[in-house]
Amino acid sequence: MAGIWVFAEGAEHTLELLCAGRKVAEQLGVQPVAFAPDEVLARRYLAHGAREVFVLPGLAPDQGLEAYVPVLAQAAAQEEPDVILIGATQRGKEMAARLSARLDTGLCSNCTGFEVDAGSGRLVMERLMYGGAGVQRVVCTTRPQMATIAARAFEPAPAGEDDAKGTIRPLSAAPSSPVKVLHRTPAARGSVDVTEAKIVVCVGRGIEKKEDVKLARDLADALGGELACSRPVAEELRWLPEEVYLGISGKKIKPQLYVGVGVSGQIQHVTGIRDSRVILAINKDENAPIFEAADYGIVGDLYQVVPILIDELKKTLKH
Amino acid sequence: MLKVIACFKWVIDEADIRVDAPNRKLLLDRAAFKISPYDRNAVEEAMRLQEQHGASVTAVTVAPASAKNCLKDVLSRGPDRAVFVNDPSFADLEPARTTGLLAAAIGSSVEFDLILCGEGSSDLYTQQVGPALAEKLGIACATYVNKLTYVEGENRVIAERKLEEGIEVVSVPLPGLITVLPDINTPRIPSLKQVLGAAKKPVEQLTPERLGSMPAERLKTMGVVAATMERKRLRFGAGAEDIRSVVDALLKEGAIG
Repeated sequence: MAGIWVFAEGAEHTLELLCAGRKVAEQLGVQPVAFAPDEVLARRYLAHGAREVFVLPGLAPDQGLEAYVPVLAQAAAQEEPDVILIGATQRGKEMAARLSARLDTGLCSNCTGFEVDAGSGRLVMERLMYGGAGVQRVVCTTRPQMATIAARAFEPAPAGEDDAKGTIRPLSAAPSSPVKVLHRTPAARGSVDVTEAKIVVCVGRGIEKKEDVKLARDLADALGGELACSRPVAEELRWLPEEVYLGISGKKIKPQLYVGVGVSGQIQHVTGIRDSRVILAINKDENAPIFEAADYGIVGDLYQVVPILIDELKKTLKH
Repeated sequence: MLKVIACFKWVIDEADIRVDAPNRKLLLDRAAFKISPYDRNAVEEAMRLQEQHGASVTAVTVAPASAKNCLKDVLSRGPDRAVFVNDPSFADLEPARTTGLLAAAIGSSVEFDLILCGEGSSDLYTQQVGPALAEKLGIACATYVNKLTYVEGENRVIAERKLEEGIEVVSVPLPGLITVLPDINTPRIPSLKQVLGAAKKPVEQLTPERLGSMPAERLKTMGVVAATMERKRLRFGAGAEDIRSVVDALLKEGAIG
């Protein structure tokens, strides 16, 4: 049976892909199909517009989610879906790449949007390249057409008006995998989620020492915002946790205000902040690329500018 | 002896890309090329395995015939030899073709126990080629690895994957493939001696004719335009007056307050 298949690690992400999938399914006149880890979620996906849900049997303790690749490949070979959309988490990206290799088909990684070409039934998909400097439009010349899509790229599919109609089908268990999970350590969850913050202050390499991060934190406090950083500040200097670095390979944020403190504005970073409503940049190098991406640019030494800015904000915001 | 392959890609340096904003065009003509940064981590990790376990290291790339500068660059970073899969038509290959060519080249000409790839390339960043290559070669793989240990005598590696939800430690049987994150190591700068020695190292040239295969295109690029952003781009000085104007403007926009 043809269809638009959606698969993601989490329920919210699955509902977002289902929203994208329903649009495609309507235009192509086929059914949206989802994957669920249990019947409870399967019924929820049916209530949100899936017309069929495959239930994946549980995994062995030493198996990762990637162990489902052979199961998905077998199902796709039998059912011949038109389109497969996979949530672009790390595991999802690996699974999509391996699935596309098994099915010998094309895969648009990190698709940011698409249109359906009604005549050919092809998805014309957009994605970023060159660290975000370019937008590439691609079509998949083979079937199934595949794409990975990041979380929050689409709104979750709304619940349908009528009761859940559709079928729930169990899939066969995943075969044993050559890669064995030996140990899992959950990430120490920081209490903040920078993607939810309305105001984000970002620490860049212009901050000279770890103690000076406090300056940016004080600014964030004055603004009532959260602290984030560029990739090297988290990965090379390790001044801030990795879950708060922004960029094409890190968190993508859409706050009402982004403030870059000593951020140079490499394109990989700018890609993570481009959806901010207002961008303010502070940098002493007037040629820093961040100023091209900013609404307001203060050219000056952050060690002078930030304390004045904090003072001004305190004066202004207390009224 | 452990036989390691490090895959690498010769990419446009995105820092050199200029934008013709009114026409939404990317100007690439003056851009220099470089080894994709994450692939340098893959090469460095291969050299670390050589130092610890006496592994042989082969660097493999798929590139246009004109990209031969990549060979000296990669060989100066330590590998014993390089395999250069090239053809004048190999510019801007989509990931399925790159994967197919790598699989054909490695399958026909390079013995290996372990393949190392970067997590993605800095130009396309599809993050597909590593895991897809493992699938084409029918070997195990682990992605997003930030710590790698070869277990001598047991024909396997222990890999720490850094994932959204935390660290996952996996055992990967060899032959296998690992994609590495940038924080797995710090690539060393080649010494003058290494740079001079690079030209003397063996390079195997492979062409589609010699491989007898040319994978078909699965993903067709319809166009590339410059990403645009509507921004005010207003500049201010560092004085208190200027900073107050910025705060006022932010208030007016409803960005603060």
